[in-house]
Amino acid sequence: MNSFAERFSTTTAASHMRNAQKLAEEDDEFDGTMWGSSAGFGSIAKGVPSFTVPAVADPTAFLRLHTDDHADPSCRIKIQHGTTTLAFRFQGGVIVAVDSRATAGSYIASGTVKKVIEINPYLLGTMAGGAADCQYWETYLGMHCRLHELRNRERISVSAASKYLSNLVYSYKGMGLSMGTMICGWDKTGPAVFYVDSDGTRLKGDLFSVGSGSTFAYGVLDQGYRWDLTDEEAQELGRRSIYAAGHRDAFSGNSCNLYHVKEDGWKFIGNYDISKLHYDGPGNVPGSDGRPYGYDIRVEGLSSTNAPEVAAAA
Amino acid sequence: MPSIEQPQQRQFNPYSENGGTILAIAGADFSVIAGDTRQSEGYSIQTRYAPKVFRLTDRAVLAVNGFAADGNMFVKKVRQRLEWYRHAHAKDMPLRAIARLIQTMLYARRFFPFYVYNILGGIEEDGTGAVYSFDPVGSYEREACRAAGAAQSLVQPFLDNQIYFKNQLPAPGTSHPAHLPLSTVLSLVIDSFTSATERHIEVGDGLEIYIVFSKGSTSLQGLASVRGLQEVTTTDDGERVFVIRRELKKD
Amino acid sequence: MSIMEYNGGSVVAMVGKDCVAIASDLRLGNQALGISSNFQKIFPVTDRIYLGLPGLATDVTTLRERFRFRVNMYTIKEEREIEPETFAHLVSSTLYEHRFGPYFIEPVIAGISKTPSGGVKPFIAATDLIGCLNFAKDFVVAGTASSKLFGVAEGLWEPDLEPEDLFETISQTLLNAVDRDAYSGWGGIVHVITKDKVVTRTLKGRMD
Repeated sequence: MNSFAERFSTTTAASHMRNAQKLAEEDDEFDGTMWGSSAGFGSIAKGVPSFTVPAVADPTAFLRLHTDDHADPSCRIKIQHGTTTLAFRFQGGVIVAVDSRATAGSYIASGTVKKVIEINPYLLGTMAGGAADCQYWETYLGMHCRLHELRNRERISVSAASKYLSNLVYSYKGMGLSMGTMICGWDKTGPAVFYVDSDGTRLKGDLFSVGSGSTFAYGVLDQGYRWDLTDEEAQELGRRSIYAAGHRDAFSGNSCNLYHVKEDGWKFIGNYDISKLHYDGPGNVPGSDGRPYGYDIRVEGLSSTNAPEVAAAA
Repeated sequence: MPSIEQPQQRQFNPYSENGGTILAIAGADFSVIAGDTRQSEGYSIQTRYAPKVFRLTDRAVLAVNGFAADGNMFVKKVRQRLEWYRHAHAKDMPLRAIARLIQTMLYARRFFPFYVYNILGGIEEDGTGAVYSFDPVGSYEREACRAAGAAQSLVQPFLDNQIYFKNQLPAPGTSHPAHLPLSTVLSLVIDSFTSATERHIEVGDGLEIYIVFSKGSTSLQGLASVRGLQEVTTTDDGERVFVIRRELKKD
Repeated sequence: MSIMEYNGGSVVAMVGKDCVAIASDLRLGNQALGISSNFQKIFPVTDRIYLGLPGLATDVTTLRERFRFRVNMYTIKEEREIEPETFAHLVSSTLYEHRFGPYFIEPVIAGISKTPSGGVKPFIAATDLIGCLNFAKDFVVAGTASSKLFGVAEGLWEPDLEPEDLFETISQTLLNAVDRDAYSGWGGIVHVITKDKVVTRTLKGRMD
């Protein structure tokens, strides 16, 4: 039954490869745009990217054997994983806040990863899970959003963009992609956030947090969230939630990148070093009271373990 | 109690690890890309001289590390694509385009990855030094300095401290320099590799350093006192590429 | 995930001119979750000997008490304070007693020992989890960030550093190394041991 569906389907990975191979065979039908360096893999001129799959009985198990560090921490190919991202929509648009740490095992591979992918000037995508999967497919999504604009003379809606991405990764379901992303934008229905992941889930919602540090971020986000937050309060909430995750979660941290999506497009608010937020607070930023975020700093002299100097002397 | 054995399966393992370390640092108008030359497998040394750093164009140098066979093949494929681009567009591919190209080439093998950690260093179109680092399946990022390979966890924190001045407070009234001069960068590279050689068995034998300069770079004077310099520039566009070779401990 | 990475933590010790320094981070975690930013892993054994215990936290507490007992017994029997080399061998034999069910700790010892002529000699040592001793002349590292510590220490250390310079070197080594390790960090503490005194300083480190 499954093989019947496989043979005649048009959306699975296998059918994509068949199409790509068919196109590759039509060499005598070269048109002017297809010569030169557009040869090779990953070229959209050939229709669809085709992927090399190892010639083994179970390619998924092969990939899992060599790259999945959840099952086998001593595997050789350590793919960098991303970690705490959040997005929520409110009256003033969408706030997107992410951390910037990438770990490979316990080694912190980078502290400056851009986990917000600027798909186009009014759509943002976040990165959690496999960094390469998110970067590659969200760039690809950007190309298709542009094609949609050219074909329909109208900006693509967030719903359509997220559905495109979700259907795309669904066709690779089970093959080992790892992606948990939020597509955020402001279209004619208002601000919108869609959660899309590599299992094929696509959910519309008001508030999401994804990644290993998401539980810590939810703690702060859930208690501070209201629809009628002001712009500054919302930015502060996003910042504060990423700080909480960066502080507690070993796999999140380094710095927080904050974006705000408004009707006319997204705006990059700032990059905040999480350790500096702990000791000094965000500084002179609208929405914050400037006080440090770190718990020990805020309770200095207020608890029995660090009583005020006067009481200690007495 | 008789033990019941689970069925065993043997499969050809297409990957191997060949050790070694690479590193790249971007300056204001130059870029330094270095790699040791030892190729090992387990506890054996396969060869004391197997280059890991390759000149792609006069503006771009690619260092590959991980599984040497995949690394060498990947460099061949990248060079092939660059040649096609040159024929199609009558010019060399700019550095950030090469970076994006490498991403798509690596991601095309998402389900049977190239086991290589790439670092691309060179000069951008605006004349600044740039370093791009990649993971085996194509995620990439532009940085100022990056170490990759067997001794990456030894070298990278040292570079964080010396290049980015992390955990260091500047003297009151001053600030840390945004870019370091070439002579400082070269000393840091050599020190990093001698340290890595001391404490990691897979690093040693020799060191190859490529330096790429932008057009009219003032940092060229920093090369005056360097011995054993060799120029490998091929075009007259203005960018220049040099190679420095040094010995590392062979034990 | 390895049992040595369960709680996280790292220790480094370095030799200077007539002084030694030993430093550790302050994190106690439960895998990815950070629990305490005040978990001490370095304990004084005598006035002149400090012991660092990175690894599984429950064994940190247990071994600290076992060594306290054994050192007290030594002091009572020998009617003198234990010397660093002797203490190192004591650590080694205690760990080897559990050769086939070891404590998940890789101890680091730092101290000042007396030479027969009445002078002082700085001493550091480290062991693996079953007691193999490493008497290094320059520095020793242990814990989840050990490879990172090796790299920075090898780059920054030089022989015959004065106590103040040794403090700066070991602090930079610790802070930069743990900033590249997910399981270590949340602050640091450094003890610089000289002939007459021990100076303890807490480091303001990254809290992520």
